[in-house]
Amino acid sequence: MENYDAMVTRQRKWMLYLLAILVLGVGFAPYPQIFQGLLLGAAASLYNLWLMQRKIKQVSEAVVDGKTKYGIGTLSRLTMAILVTVVALRFDEHFHIIAAVVGLVSSYIVLMADFFIQTFIRDKKA
Amino acid sequence: MEALAAAIAIGLAALGASFGNGMIVSKALEGMARQPELRGALQQTMLIGVALVEAIPIIAAVIAFMVM
Repeated sequence: MENYDAMVTRQRKWMLYLLAILVLGVGFAPYPQIFQGLLLGAAASLYNLWLMQRKIKQVSEAVVDGKTKYGIGTLSRLTMAILVTVVALRFDEHFHIIAAVVGLVSSYIVLMADFFIQTFIRDKKA
Repeated sequence: MEALAAAIAIGLAALGASFGNGMIVSKALEGMARQPELRGALQQTMLIGVALVEAIPIIAAVIAFMVM
């Protein structure tokens, strides 16, 4: 149980670091459109990650306590992705669409990187 | 024609993801119900599995909206 909470905190921390770097990119890098797209996607991605972690915890708590819980929020996350796409397509002078899509999948990249790093550390300790 | 392409893209991705998610969640919850002390490890596996499966329909939804 503590492992899961530690993993959740770690993933959110890395996503917040990524968002901070992207904000710096928007402010100082020569391609603001790309960094704004990345920032939009990564912000939605952090929300998706938070929602997924919360829903999975709720569902597993419900199962262990013998209660009923419906759904793990897939539709909400899909809707968020669609919203980001629509915003990026509507305001294409501000947001680069490909950058927004890359930002949308950034939480999955962070999640996989964290998983591999933790596996590597655990294998090295053993 | 674009609407049809978008519908096929998002529909097939959602179909695959629903099967995948269903299998992951059902097996993980079954394990948690049998052995509640393994809940932390199973939650981790479930989160990573669900995230990997859901990346595909999210990208498909984006592509569908870009096609339309």
